[in-house]
Amino acid sequence: MDTLYIIAITIIKTAVYFGILMLHVAYATYAERKVIGHIQLRLGPMVVGPHGILQPIADVIKLLLKEDIVPAKVDKAIFKAAPIISLTAALSTFAVIPVDKNWIIADINVGLLYVIGIAGIGTYGIIFSGWASNSKYAFLGGLRSAAQMVSYEVALGLSLVGVILMAESFNLTEIVNKQTEYWYGMFLFPQIIAYFVFVVAMLAETNRLPFDLPEAETELVAGYFVEYSGIRFSLFYLAEYLAMFCMSALATICFWGGWTAPPILIKTFPILEFVPGFVWFLIKVYFHIFLFFWLRGTLPRYRYDQLMAIGWKVLIPLALINIVVTSIVKYYY
Amino acid sequence: MKLKEVINKIFLIEIFKGLFLTLRMLFSKSVTIQYPFERREVYDGFRGRHALVRDPFTENDKCIGCMRCSTVCPSRCIYIKREKRENKMVVVDYIIDASRCIYCAYCVETCPVCALVLTEDYEYSSYKRKELIFNKEQLLKNWDDFASKWKDDFYFNKFWQPPGINPSRWPKTKREQKPIQLRKVVEIRKEEKNESNN
Repeated sequence: MDTLYIIAITIIKTAVYFGILMLHVAYATYAERKVIGHIQLRLGPMVVGPHGILQPIADVIKLLLKEDIVPAKVDKAIFKAAPIISLTAALSTFAVIPVDKNWIIADINVGLLYVIGIAGIGTYGIIFSGWASNSKYAFLGGLRSAAQMVSYEVALGLSLVGVILMAESFNLTEIVNKQTEYWYGMFLFPQIIAYFVFVVAMLAETNRLPFDLPEAETELVAGYFVEYSGIRFSLFYLAEYLAMFCMSALATICFWGGWTAPPILIKTFPILEFVPGFVWFLIKVYFHIFLFFWLRGTLPRYRYDQLMAIGWKVLIPLALINIVVTSIVKYYY
Repeated sequence: MKLKEVINKIFLIEIFKGLFLTLRMLFSKSVTIQYPFERREVYDGFRGRHALVRDPFTENDKCIGCMRCSTVCPSRCIYIKREKRENKMVVVDYIIDASRCIYCAYCVETCPVCALVLTEDYEYSSYKRKELIFNKEQLLKNWDDFASKWKDDFYFNKFWQPPGINPSRWPKTKREQKPIQLRKVVEIRKEEKNESNN
């Protein structure tokens, strides 16, 4: 009876979480088009609803109604499985991400490892789709993605080691709680190098500009999902945006203090204590999402060898130095 | 100099400059004109859909069939059919192939009686090529379309006169060119005004 109750509660929690997440993803596409549009002195979508507010719904309807094309010479089973792998991996990461105090589906003690591991599985979807599509563009996109993900996952993991050392835990809730012990309430300041490494690796991990080589429009048409259409195409799209949200949430929890506000801020303005935790969390996540769009509107795409050079010659040494310095400081104080 | 470059490289100064530029652009006014709902202002000298001016008094076109326009046309897209009736030249049909026209407006510049005009209408795309070949009837209809939208009672465009040539060397008709009268109403209004003044 007790287990049944827990299962039922978890399913309800998951459903609510899923619904809110999907709404966020839908409106992230809208926000991206608006932000990029205004950066380029355009307006973005304006026709569907006031200021184009219903555009994501129109897009979803269009994608659902489109014909689902499976090219003749693809490996059908893998071709159909690839988007599902991508999406499942992207969705699964949110199970351990705490939105507020105790607002979490699964509070496991290796949360951080789980997120990094599951996010890595998403790469399989991309490689499979590239391989199964039987198309040179998709294949090149898939290969690039594999190489990029492998090299940047190292930097991403190493940048988080500094945070783990300071928090003395892999549990995401513990990491947030630990940050409130400092008067500035964030690991951002002591771990500024790790944060820089994390942000750059985050961009590369989610295949966003300036590191969007797997789907470089100008050279690979759309990269690994060229051959996809209709709902399968939208699953890849969904996975990409979910990965963006996942990485933003991770950055928020590990470096910006999650759902807590800096104690110094609350001490100076006591009224801020009444702001609910998830509001702080969402503000921080939205900032990171905006950062994705902002960087996309600013920077051009890097060349492939430059991408690899940044990953291996700059970010990984930086992260390693950060680990060593953090360890020494931790040992003596 | 060397140190500055190193600092620039480490702190990504250039990237931050770029980020602030885009941030500033984010909050500046966008230049988009939302076409079907808003329209760009049409400037003087705009060369749009062809039209034969309908004389408000005779209710017919002003063309005298001098053939100057079809002679000067670089793309040879003006065809004029004329007949001699009772010792008088009559223009039977006047055809402009708008799909071949390059909108140079030489025909307008050269016309001695201001019978031909490139109006300011620009929304006349069509699914059929045939609809882009304007005959006399269609050209007069084009003028009616334009005249019904034009708020003023006169229409004049200084670009109809040959540019870059001293006015003294223009043909007499061009030198004395008056704004095209769109409606008969004008005369009546003038009379009304005179009466009210008296």
